[in-house]
Amino acid sequence: MKRTSMLLMSVMLLLSMFLAACGNSGSTNTPAAEGETPKTETPPAEENAPVSLRVFSTFGGTDAAREAFQAALDEFTAAHPNVKIENDTMSANDDGFRTKVNTDMNSGNEPDLLFYFIGADAEGFVNAGKVVPLNEILDANADWKNGFIPDALELAKQKDGNIYAAPLTGFYEGLFVNKKIFEENGLELPTDWAKLTTAVKTLSAKGIIPLSVPFDQSHYLIEHTILSAAGPESQSKGLIDGIDPNWEKAYAAMKELYDLGAFPKDAATIDLSMSGNYYSEGLAAMTIEGSWAVGGWSDDTRDNSTVLPFPTVPDGAGSGNDIVGGFGSGFYLSKSTYDDAAKKDTAVELLKHLTSPATIQKIASANGGTPAADVEVTGLAQVALDGFAMAAKADSISAPVDSKVSQETFGNLRASVQPVVEGKKTPTQAIEEAKKTEDANKK
Amino acid sequence: MKGDRKYIVLFLFPAAAIMTIFLYYPFFKSLYLSFYRTSGFFDKKFVGWANYERLVTDKLLGAATLHTLEIMLYVIVFQVGIALVLAVLVDNIAKFKGFYRTVFFFPVVISGTAISLLFVLFYNYNFGLLNNLLANFNIEKILWLDAKNALKAVSIPTVWHYVGFYFILFLTAMAKIPADYYEAAKLEGITGIKKTTMLTIPLIMSDIKVVITLAITGTLKIFEFIWVITSGQNGTEVLGTYMYKKAMVDQNFGYGSAVAIYMVVFGVVLALIANRLLKRDEITY
Repeated sequence: MKRTSMLLMSVMLLLSMFLAACGNSGSTNTPAAEGETPKTETPPAEENAPVSLRVFSTFGGTDAAREAFQAALDEFTAAHPNVKIENDTMSANDDGFRTKVNTDMNSGNEPDLLFYFIGADAEGFVNAGKVVPLNEILDANADWKNGFIPDALELAKQKDGNIYAAPLTGFYEGLFVNKKIFEENGLELPTDWAKLTTAVKTLSAKGIIPLSVPFDQSHYLIEHTILSAAGPESQSKGLIDGIDPNWEKAYAAMKELYDLGAFPKDAATIDLSMSGNYYSEGLAAMTIEGSWAVGGWSDDTRDNSTVLPFPTVPDGAGSGNDIVGGFGSGFYLSKSTYDDAAKKDTAVELLKHLTSPATIQKIASANGGTPAADVEVTGLAQVALDGFAMAAKADSISAPVDSKVSQETFGNLRASVQPVVEGKKTPTQAIEEAKKTEDANKK
Repeated sequence: MKGDRKYIVLFLFPAAAIMTIFLYYPFFKSLYLSFYRTSGFFDKKFVGWANYERLVTDKLLGAATLHTLEIMLYVIVFQVGIALVLAVLVDNIAKFKGFYRTVFFFPVVISGTAISLLFVLFYNYNFGLLNNLLANFNIEKILWLDAKNALKAVSIPTVWHYVGFYFILFLTAMAKIPADYYEAAKLEGITGIKKTTMLTIPLIMSDIKVVITLAITGTLKIFEFIWVITSGQNGTEVLGTYMYKKAMVDQNFGYGSAVAIYMVVFGVVLALIANRLLKRDEITY
């Protein structure tokens, strides 16, 4: 008995030494040379050796594209029976998702493929070299590269000019309007500020919520008012170089809307899903949301909705036809996987599969996002088509302002919404406080 | 004894290891991080006492502390109070003791988040249960979670959730009291309320002390009720949610850690004060 356990122990020890050796060879600086040796020796084994990959994404829970994404993974495993894929998901609605990704990336627990935001959010792990630039792989696989719309790849670039994330679908945000409620009340669609305020006055007098947004999770309200107040150029500069006085007008506009009774009475304590619920149930005439929200609304509301660019706030620098959107997320390939000879090729294959025009077409059909490939998306609601048309006609498409300032600054901007609209803080104070946070963060 | 030492160390080791990994290591890591300015996960810079200087001037933190203290007051008065009353009542009945014990303990088993979601649906202005009831009586809808009521409104599920736990502690404490005390009291003609206030409560005083200390430290950890029901809006921010916002939402782990250290110090001070105020001789029987 004792002897067998000793034997087992030594075998395990030996195995673990092997594993450690493999791990080391993967992380040395000459992965290409060492990685190629086993490949040339045993090509058939390489093909059939079981590989297990972990794909982390937001395609889970109530996400509209959950099933389409799972189907895409299943397709891949059906074609490659030796591959096992762990479909690890978390809802993007919550900030916990960011924490999870960053902790994973920081603690050596990187998923093989990661679906995450592009831009400031990813800067940390991109700069730390946790993911590989895809430029060379894209160039080496012309078929794959040509599948994307050039603009989509352009928008997927990080600050350093490299592409780290392969885009899948893009998004647009805008002012979603329930046309039926507007018609019933004899109102014109809110294409400019005057029409918006008229609509707000009329609707709130009738007990209909004019614009359903929450104060705490006020991301979209802030994004749109700041974009229309500051204009796309000043918006993209953020706050680091100084305060553009136009930014204040965003908060002044929110206060004006609040004073006219635009927001739900309980806007202070509801969250985004509840405010979306009010719109979906037809209790509210307008909401500010993104393309992904469309799939979650009741059929009735969806069929009656259209989407418009948020009108320019009084004296704002925006044109009234600037929208928030882009290819805000994509698939990253982690460095540790790329350096692991056993996984590398399979992971690249999977990445190519998940961002192939066919998959992009299916995902876009499911979530109503703008496809990153030149494909025909079918079966979409009219409001989604309106959204594509809006994006195509827009004067400018900007990434949301939360990607232009630090997380903490944006937190500060969010926390100022309620005090400003209730008159406990002036718009000037709100922006100045945000600027202070931004400065402290960049120190 | 000497031969036992090996086993003592052996058996203590798992607990010590787990405590170290999950309690002491994070604590010291927080202490370490609280001297850094962090931005995201990959970038940090030593800033000395800057985070602690910010603590002192942070008005939101002051407000969060006051809100926590207010909830603490409700918890001590109502949570402990109701638990004590229920325990006395259940202790005095002959039948269905087990039934009531299960019923009152039940909320403790439910996750706080689930209870919070339930209360979100109670309080919601547009289609909440409470406002629907009012609408049936043609009374105008009430904004349950406005700036005036919000803290009280979230205190209700907070208090309700843990009443059962203290109730069980009190009940077991009462069961420990030897029956001859009551027999003697009966011979002296002491019954009813007098028996409770003169005999039962003094005899379980040390347990009440423990429960109050638990309630105080437990209140500092309140998070899910506030987070789910109001997300800290309308004057309901407490220390737990504020720390989370700073560390996780704003990704400023340095300041978040400083808030965490402040919470620990604040909690220890409060517990010490409570112990001093409740100092009494231990009763043995």
